[in-house]
Amino acid sequence: MNVIPTLEGGLSIEPENAADWMVLDSISTDIGRPSHLAESLAGLMGDDSEWEELVVPDLEQNFNVQCRYVQEAVESAREQNSQAIFIKAHNADKWYGALNQARMSLQARYDIHGLDNFEDAPEELRSAHFRDRFYLTLQGVLLEYVMGNS
Amino acid sequence: MPSPTISKKAKSSIQTDVPWSVLVLDDPVNLMSYVTIILKRVFGYSEERATTLMMEIHTSGRAVVWTGAKERAEFYVQQLHGSQLKSTMEKSV
Repeated sequence: MNVIPTLEGGLSIEPENAADWMVLDSISTDIGRPSHLAESLAGLMGDDSEWEELVVPDLEQNFNVQCRYVQEAVESAREQNSQAIFIKAHNADKWYGALNQARMSLQARYDIHGLDNFEDAPEELRSAHFRDRFYLTLQGVLLEYVMGNS
Repeated sequence: MPSPTISKKAKSSIQTDVPWSVLVLDDPVNLMSYVTIILKRVFGYSEERATTLMMEIHTSGRAVVWTGAKERAEFYVQQLHGSQLKSTMEKSV
């Protein structure tokens, strides 16, 4: 897979094979239920019931929008046999947010940043680790070439 | 001639609001450069100030990033949660 900055200040993601498309599909799969993250963040506010009622629904909606946007962008590109998925500068936050949700979710499920040795880890854990590294790399490119200039 | 009277002054009932602190907590997922960008966006901090706070979060595990009125602190925490940063607020001591 190639990830290339565009002249318009965005990014072009160019999948080269079925495995590349699969890893892009896994972003929304790894996010799972976006409300988990909203509830987890709300937990930091203690027993604030107003926070639960007033803020959490907005956060859930925001996280859902990010997840759906990326899912639909990947599905649409594949269905149309596109050579690339373009991320325009004004959509970079949605992509970054979805990738972050996926990494937050993987961390909560597997504690991958707390493990030192992946050589002997189960296949599921190693796979989660490599997906996390891919999402991280994409986030780094977004920050360096797109979001850092905004 | 009327005798002088002493009038009592009304006691002041003005209370000063206790300031609240907004804290950002370190986590293994959010990238350092992303945290800096969010601190600049949410609080309008300079690159230098945002970077200093980000480093404090990273090295100390948490940092007070803003102090002031409760309603404003709630607004900022909401913005930080929306950016997926782990944050909370507490009364300043």
